[in-house]
Amino acid sequence: MTNSVLLNNIDHQNLKIITERSDTYGDNLWYAQTFPMEFKSVQAYYPIFFNKNPDTGKFFPLALFGFENKENLFLSDNKWTADYIPAMVARQPFLIGIQALNEGGIEKQQRMLNIDLDNPRVNEEQGESIFLEHGGSSPYLDKVADLLEAIHHGLNDSNDFIDALNEHQLLESVTLDITLNDHSKHQMLGFYTINEEKLAELSSDILKLLHKKGYLQAIYMTIASQANVRKLISKKNEILGL
Amino acid sequence: MINLRKKLMNQPLKKIVIVGGGSAGWLTAGIIAAEYATNQDSGVEITLVESADVAPIGVGEGTWPSMRSTLQKMGISETEFLLECDASFKQGSKFTNWKTNGNEHYYHPFTLPNGFNEINLSSYWQPFSDKISFADAVSEQSHLGAHGLAPKQITTPEYSFVANYGYHLDAGKFGQFLQKHCTIKLGVKHVIDHVTKINSSATGDIASITTKKQGDIFGDLFIDCTGTSSLLLAQHYKIPFISKKHILFNDSAMAVHVPYENSDSPIASFTSSTAQTAGWVWDIGLPTRRGVGYTYSSAHISHDLAEQELRNYLVPSMGKDAAHSVMIRRIPLNPGHREKFWHKNCVAIGLAAGFIEPLEASALALVELSARMISEQLPANRQTMDIIAKRFNDKFLHRWENVVDFLKLHYVLSQRTDSAYWLDNKNEESIPKSLQQLISLWRYQPPYHYDATHTEEMFPPASFQYILYGMNFVSEPLAHKKRVSYTDKADKLFNDNIKKTQKLLSILPTNREIINKIKKYGLPKI
Repeated sequence: MTNSVLLNNIDHQNLKIITERSDTYGDNLWYAQTFPMEFKSVQAYYPIFFNKNPDTGKFFPLALFGFENKENLFLSDNKWTADYIPAMVARQPFLIGIQALNEGGIEKQQRMLNIDLDNPRVNEEQGESIFLEHGGSSPYLDKVADLLEAIHHGLNDSNDFIDALNEHQLLESVTLDITLNDHSKHQMLGFYTINEEKLAELSSDILKLLHKKGYLQAIYMTIASQANVRKLISKKNEILGL
Repeated sequence: MINLRKKLMNQPLKKIVIVGGGSAGWLTAGIIAAEYATNQDSGVEITLVESADVAPIGVGEGTWPSMRSTLQKMGISETEFLLECDASFKQGSKFTNWKTNGNEHYYHPFTLPNGFNEINLSSYWQPFSDKISFADAVSEQSHLGAHGLAPKQITTPEYSFVANYGYHLDAGKFGQFLQKHCTIKLGVKHVIDHVTKINSSATGDIASITTKKQGDIFGDLFIDCTGTSSLLLAQHYKIPFISKKHILFNDSAMAVHVPYENSDSPIASFTSSTAQTAGWVWDIGLPTRRGVGYTYSSAHISHDLAEQELRNYLVPSMGKDAAHSVMIRRIPLNPGHREKFWHKNCVAIGLAAGFIEPLEASALALVELSARMISEQLPANRQTMDIIAKRFNDKFLHRWENVVDFLKLHYVLSQRTDSAYWLDNKNEESIPKSLQQLISLWRYQPPYHYDATHTEEMFPPASFQYILYGMNFVSEPLAHKKRVSYTDKADKLFNDNIKKTQKLLSILPTNREIINKIKKYGLPKI
C-alpha cells in the first residue's frame, strides 16, 4: 500500500533512499508511463505503446520493458541495463502532492514534494541521503525535485497529446506476436499504437497543427521505437539461454 | 394510357415522408438516413412531419441489444447518447412473483446460455433444477444482476460489451436527441406542422399530405409513425385492427416517475417485472429516476384498485406519504395490431402498427426491425414496392404472432391461483394454438435451433428456455439414448460458467459507478 506524506526536513531528516534496481524494490515492471517530452530519450531503448488507465479509460503512453506482467528484461544482476531510465520509474519513491493554500484570500494549489513511506527503498541505513546535516536538500533531492517538475509538465502535455491522437483517430489496437528462438510463441494483447494509415491521410492543416505542438515528432518517435521490440526479443532469448 | 401507368410504376422512389416524431419517427428517419445519401440527387429525401400539438406517448424506456448497432450505424457517440438521454445499461429482465406469489424471481438475460451453438445445456441442468436456477447455471449475467453490476468497464470501448446489453432510457429525451442528430448530421428535413388532409392519387396511393402552414407535402413512400391514432394506415386507409385482448388481457396502464433516495442510489441493471393481482408492474432504473408503471386488465380490476396496488408497490422505496401522493398518469392501451402494416405506398411503424404490453420491451425492437427492413429493401420504384410490401406484411405478421406467443408463455406457465386474472390466463381459449403446440412439444424436446422456423426470429430459442426453465417447466429427459454422451462437455461448460462468473464479479463496476465515470471521463472510442 502507499503511504504518501509531505516531505519535511524534521520528520524525514534521517531517511535514506536505496537507488539499487531490482525486483526487491519493485523494478520488475512490465511497463511504465511515459510522456512526449521524454520520448527522445525513451525511444532509443524502449518500444513506446499505449494502454488505458483502468480507473478512467483514458489512454497513456508507456515504455515497454517486457512481454508479460512483472517481466522487466532490462533488469539483470541488480542493474538496469539501459542508459536511460524513464522518469516515472526514476522518481520512486517520490511523488507530487497538491497542497491547497490561501494566499492573500485567494485559493491556490501548490505542488509539493511527497514521499511514499511504505516504499521498500525508504530506510535509515543505506543509500542516498535526502537531507544534509543541517537540514538543506541534498543534491540527490534537488535532482528528484527537477525530475518531478519535468514529470508534472510532461504529463499535462501528454494529456493534450492523447486528446489530439483521439481527435484524429490516430490510435489503433495492436497485438504483438513473439516467437522465441525455441519456436515458443507468445501473444501480447491489449496495447495500442499509432494508426499509420490514418496518419498518412491527415490534411496539411492538421499536420501543421500537430507539428507546432511537437506532437508530429512524438508520433514519429513512437513509430520508430517499435524497432526496439526486436531488442526485447533478443534480451528474452538471452535471459532464457536460447 | 398503358405507357403512362408503366411510366408511373417505374418512377424512382425519391421522397420518403415520415408522419409523426417520437421514438418511432426519429429512429426510422435515422435508420434510413444512416444508410442512404440524403443530400445528393441520386439519394433519397427524407422529411419528417410532426405536429407541435401532439405529444409522444412518453413511455417505452427499454431496448434490446440491437439498439447498440442501430445507434452506432447512425454515427452517434454512445457517451453522448448515455448522457443526453439519461440512459443506463439493460442486461435483460427480472421476473418476480410470476410463478407463485411467494417472493421468488428468475432472470431472462440477454446472453445466450454457455455453448448454446454446440450443445443444449437445458437437459443437463434439469436434474439439478432444485439446486441452481437455469440462468445461474448457464450464464454469468444473472449473477451480475444479483450483484447489481454493470455489463462493461470504463476501459471498454463505446458499444462493446463484457456482457451483452441494451439500454434503459428516457423516452422523451431520446426522441429529441435523435431529432437533433437526424436533422443536423444526417440531412433529414424537419417540418413542424399539423396534418389536415391526406390526398390520394388516381391509383389510391397517398400523393401528398396537406399541412396547416406549409401546404402540401408530396412523397413517394409515406411512413405512419402517428402513434395509436394511426392517421394514415387506420384513419385514412381503414385497415382493420386485430385485437389480441382475448390472449393478453392487459388493456390499461398507469405510469409514474420515482426519485431515488440520493444521487448514489444503485441503478438496477435488469428491467424489473413484478406480477400483481391483475397484471404486472414494470420498474426501470435510469440514472436520475426510476420509471415505474402498472399494466393491467380493466376486466379484472377497477382503475382505482389498480392505482392502489401501484401505490402500495411504491411504498417501500418512496415511503407511505410520497407513495400515496405522487402523480400517476393513466394510459389506455389496446393490445393488438393492424391486419396489415404496408398498404399501397404507406407503411406503419411503432404504435401506429400495433401495441402489446411491454413485458419483453418488444416495441422499440419492432421499430428497429421495421425501419431496418424498409432500409435494406428500399423499393427502387413503385412497381417493386408491392412485392416488398407483401414481404413486409408476411414477416411482421409472423413476428407479431411470435411476440404474442412469447408473452403469453409467461402467463401460461404461472402457478398463481390467487385471482381470476391468473386462472383466466390459463383458459385454453386464451392460448394461441401455436403456443399450445410448442408447449406440448417442449415437454419432450427442449427449445433449440430447429424451433426457429424463419430467419431473424423476434425471440431466439434461448429466450424461450430462460422463460420455461425460470418458471419451473419440466422437459422430460430425452426419450432416446444417444450413441455418444455429452455429459463431460456439459460439465465443462457449467464449470467454465462458474469461473467466468467469478472473474466478472471481481472486475466489473456497479451500474452507478460506471455511469458516474462515464459522466467524468466518457467511454473510449476504441
